[in-house]
Amino acid sequence: MSKGQIVAGYLAPHPPHLVYGENPPQNEARSQGGWEQLRWAYERARASLDELKPDVLLVHSPHWITQQGHHFLGVPHLSGKSVDPIFPNLFRYSFELNVDTELAEACCDEAAGMGLTTKMMRNPNFRVDYGTITTLHMIRPQWDIPVVGISANNSPYYLTTEEGLEEMDTLGKATRKAIEDTGRRAVLLASNTLCHLHFSEEPVPPEDMAQEHPHDYAGYLWDMRMIELLRQGKTQEVFSLLPQFIDEAFAEVKSGAFTWMFSAMGYPQMPGELHGYGTVIGTGNAVMEWNLIKAGLAQEAAGELS
Amino acid sequence: MTVVSSFLVPGSPLPLVARDNPPWAELAQAFEQAGEALVASKPDTIVVYSTQWIAVLDQLWQARPHLRDIHVDENWHEFGDLQFDISIDVEFAQAAIAATNDLGIKSKGVDYDKFPIDTGTIVASTMLNPANDLPLAITSNNVYHDWSMTESLGKLAAEQAHKLGRKIAVVGVGGLSGSYFRHNIDIAEDRIASEPEDQWNRKMLALMEQGDVTALREQCPTYASEARVDMGFKHFAFLLGAMGGSFSSAVVHGYGPLYGAGGAIVEFTQ
Repeated sequence: MSKGQIVAGYLAPHPPHLVYGENPPQNEARSQGGWEQLRWAYERARASLDELKPDVLLVHSPHWITQQGHHFLGVPHLSGKSVDPIFPNLFRYSFELNVDTELAEACCDEAAGMGLTTKMMRNPNFRVDYGTITTLHMIRPQWDIPVVGISANNSPYYLTTEEGLEEMDTLGKATRKAIEDTGRRAVLLASNTLCHLHFSEEPVPPEDMAQEHPHDYAGYLWDMRMIELLRQGKTQEVFSLLPQFIDEAFAEVKSGAFTWMFSAMGYPQMPGELHGYGTVIGTGNAVMEWNLIKAGLAQEAAGELS
Repeated sequence: MTVVSSFLVPGSPLPLVARDNPPWAELAQAFEQAGEALVASKPDTIVVYSTQWIAVLDQLWQARPHLRDIHVDENWHEFGDLQFDISIDVEFAQAAIAATNDLGIKSKGVDYDKFPIDTGTIVASTMLNPANDLPLAITSNNVYHDWSMTESLGKLAAEQAHKLGRKIAVVGVGGLSGSYFRHNIDIAEDRIASEPEDQWNRKMLALMEQGDVTALREQCPTYASEARVDMGFKHFAFLLGAMGGSFSSAVVHGYGPLYGAGGAIVEFTQ
């Protein structure tokens, strides 16, 4: 078995509004569109993901919150209907997904070996959270690539932000090791919004884009500052600013996915590609890609080398 | 009397799914005692406020007539499924929605197949109303609502019950101290994770037994902060509101650890 590798990472936020705006057959709620700039951003991300030909998609979601450890989906096939508890009017999605349980077990074991509390989720009746499902639908609506779903242990909220994100850093390192040892070509998905203050009322209809704009100017400025640094490949500066960004913009990256992903990729000082930015009920969302093949940090799929 | 009984109960599934574990058995037995007291009070409807039903946009009320499904807890999935069969007092819910809007708090009903019912509501319903003999009125914990607004929602619930001629039991679902074990423990050795938090819990429970509402109100903000109380103890605010702001005494049916956090089953007497 050849050594596995991470071929790319995506910042892949999960507002259910994007699924609602797209009107896929899996979602009961119907819309007249909306949030096109973000949905078009995901179209570009879908095209690039297709070229990467990954074996597996790993997603870390802030809406599977766990207190005792970092949990991993551990059932080969999961299906059901996921209803967003916050936006049930928008997101009632019938899902069906396959889990790469071998890799999930390896991630779980590696993370435990590095000192984290971990747990496999083996209950077949488990309802996968809407964050995981939205991110996976938006990046790969065909649902034809196995996934590894990882919970957001609430350590950044229970401990200090820095202590919590240190755990996510360890989780990232463990994830990378597990991917390498199992020979997978893996894509990482950080299911996180940037600035996260939001409006307290929905417009009617929810897709009325005349009502959509950043919640506040300060949050918008923070998002632009962070995106510009990421576009320039100034990863070190981004992570030195991260606690302040989290504190001042109420950024959802606090929940750990962003740190997990960058840790797994080895914090590459490479420019990220911005596929698009937009707000959803006032929150800031960027779809961004770090293609490690283009950066020479990973290899193309075997069939494409000859 | 409209509010015929009132209870504070924890939302953790552990006393329900692993009741044979000694540290959690006392809480399970206490739940049963509270359930018997609830039935004896002969309510028409049980009003439930659960800290685990998180809302951020509006004040939500469950408006689907019948909820029957399986739920798997996000953290304690290894203990198996939580089955639930809950009837909703829809007339009460609709009245509460209208009244909540009239109060200036935007509110709406939730009536969707497979809407995720929170673990705390399921635990309370299963332990206190196991045969689903009584309908429930369930409302959410909007994280942006403060103590005062939550208390006003409890008051509103009692007022609507009075207008409808309902006798209600009110259940505030949530924990006490919030420090918990983050690592795996021998569950047979479970205990309150923090000694100062244990002392805080005992002090507050004693004040409840004494019916010293003035002292409770004075202590609650500090208690919530120093003992990391579940959601700022807003479930108690809802109860206080429903009870008209006071009660004469309380019976602590049980108090114990829930993986380090504190939980108690308390019955209030008005």
